[in-house]
Amino acid sequence: MTFSTGITNIDKMAPELPVQASEDLLSTPMFNLIHSFGVDLHHAESYVGKTTRMSRFERLSTDGGQLDGSGIDPASEVPVRSDIDATMEIYAKSIVTNEQVVLWENSKTLTKFTALLGQWLREKEDLLMRDLFSSSVSYINATGGLNGDQPSNISLNDVNNIENILLGNDARTMLTNLEATLKFGTAGVRDAFIALANTNLSADLQKVQGVLLKSAYPTQEGIRPEEYCSISRFRFFVSSKGAKIPGASLKGNTVYTIPMYGLEAAAKIEQNNYTAVIGYRPPWVVSSVAQNSQLYAKFAIARAITNQNWISGLNVTTFQPS
Amino acid sequence: MPFTILTGGSFTSTGAGVKIPLPSSADFFTTENVTQEAASNPNTVIKGRWFGSKFGTGASPAGQGIKVVKTTADLTGVFSAGTGFTYVTTSPIVEAQAAAAITAITAANPAVVTQTNTYSNGDIIRIYSTTGMLQIGGMDFQISSVSGSGYTLLGLPATASNGFAAAATAGYTRRISAYNAVEPEYLYITNISQATQAVVSTSVDPSSHYVVGMKIHMSVPFSFGMTQMNQLTGKILAVNAVSATSNIGAYNLTIDIDSSTFTAFSFPASTSSPTATLFATLSPAGASTQFDPVTGVQTGYNFQIQPFRTGQFVPYMFLAGGAQSPAGANLDVINWIAYKFEN
Repeated sequence: MTFSTGITNIDKMAPELPVQASEDLLSTPMFNLIHSFGVDLHHAESYVGKTTRMSRFERLSTDGGQLDGSGIDPASEVPVRSDIDATMEIYAKSIVTNEQVVLWENSKTLTKFTALLGQWLREKEDLLMRDLFSSSVSYINATGGLNGDQPSNISLNDVNNIENILLGNDARTMLTNLEATLKFGTAGVRDAFIALANTNLSADLQKVQGVLLKSAYPTQEGIRPEEYCSISRFRFFVSSKGAKIPGASLKGNTVYTIPMYGLEAAAKIEQNNYTAVIGYRPPWVVSSVAQNSQLYAKFAIARAITNQNWISGLNVTTFQPS
Repeated sequence: MPFTILTGGSFTSTGAGVKIPLPSSADFFTTENVTQEAASNPNTVIKGRWFGSKFGTGASPAGQGIKVVKTTADLTGVFSAGTGFTYVTTSPIVEAQAAAAITAITAANPAVVTQTNTYSNGDIIRIYSTTGMLQIGGMDFQISSVSGSGYTLLGLPATASNGFAAAATAGYTRRISAYNAVEPEYLYITNISQATQAVVSTSVDPSSHYVVGMKIHMSVPFSFGMTQMNQLTGKILAVNAVSATSNIGAYNLTIDIDSSTFTAFSFPASTSSPTATLFATLSPAGASTQFDPVTGVQTGYNFQIQPFRTGQFVPYMFLAGGAQSPAGANLDVINWIAYKFEN
């Protein structure tokens, strides 16, 4: 038997509204955006069609060239031009909102939806660039790992093979070196090409001979959070949306494709007067009784591999099938 | 939920099934057989209606829908299974089919696969977990001459001189999308001839991805023999112009690289897997646009195939063909309209 204390407490009188919104909105998960920052950005003019042409003159032959004094002119050479074309495409997403949501939901609903569309815009763009790398680039299978699959898990030899290909094709490194400093447990990092990998490979990356994890870099200043490690002449960036192909190995395991490239290997083209629009259509436009409003995001993008000599890649599986 | 009419059109039936691309998807789809509506033939389908998933329990099952049949008066019924509408929204690469077991792949040009299957001519399949032909495990092939018990790989000259010592005795396949996410896509190389104009055989028909005037970048690992070809870039002179013979497959590109003095191309032996580096591939490297005043031929301006662009799957509506189906009988004129909810 209990007796009343005469005190009105929380058990006797709960709040009329049993929930309240925390002042801070929780984060919406966003994957690492790694597929755009290493590419060149170009712009397409408006009103001149949807295909952008990027052209490069191939270098002239260095054979011969000596004047022998005979007075006979050496044969001239016809320059060869390579044209890289890319088609502009438009992507869009919209959210239609009933006025009752705006009226009764916690404040700034439209602001939150705008942020959500902005996140979609960046994520979609990143995936489109990822698809370019996974569809239109030559990859070779890793064979130096010990998991017995084809391709194997990643090894130093496999990474070095790609470095050989890029250096042999006169590719230029993307990132400058990080000079060694007098900090215990750190080491200098050479100027490097870029490698993009799925986060499922992080365990295997840690085991590659000679790997330098990001924490062992001589400085953390200016290092992107997506960066994971440095192996040989490559700095690896990881994303949970990094490319993978289910069931594509000899044994039917998931194959992860790692694009590895230097300067001017790929391009992203934005459309002048269009790129990245976020807009609002008020209720009296969207709905006959002015009840639904609409937010939308649109962007235009064209993508291209601009020099296949300066990009290659590795197909790998994981040491433990994933 | 107001509707918006997305798109519409008309076609003359051949009696066969028809695919109608719907890039923005659809929630409601109708057909009208205007030929049969005006005719007096009894027992023919004159209208078809398909309801998408937003109609919940009223949605049309795959391959079916609602039909209006002309008798003495209009008669409404349900299409028999497989004779109506099929709304295809995902490509096989996203929704991979179940693995199917192979019982043999012949060591011949072209290679012939024995497998109980439900594939169609032109499908792209990925072969893996092979036994006896480990060097093709993980490669994609276009198939032809399909029967329920097997098919032909026109892109695989699996001869002894191309590195195939014996037939495969087992393996698995999955059908995948005909297009990669971005076009032009990389292709697997199955042979390169030694000639003043090299003939590059590919595992799928290259004519859907490459045209004359485009340039291709060659990636030929050491294990494939023709090391001199590795990392070279060449221009396409012809597509599928060379008949299959010896080690040349039916799917091929003739390029302007002189390989006559190169060492021979050959797949690594099956026994060297998994240590031999795979695969030999080619990838798009732009084009050299030019006009030949002698022949009057302009090359490199095919903007349908040449530029980098999305190759992603586009949803489509498949209309079954025939007098009892929405795509109608031969010479019937079919009008169609696709609708979508505004929200």
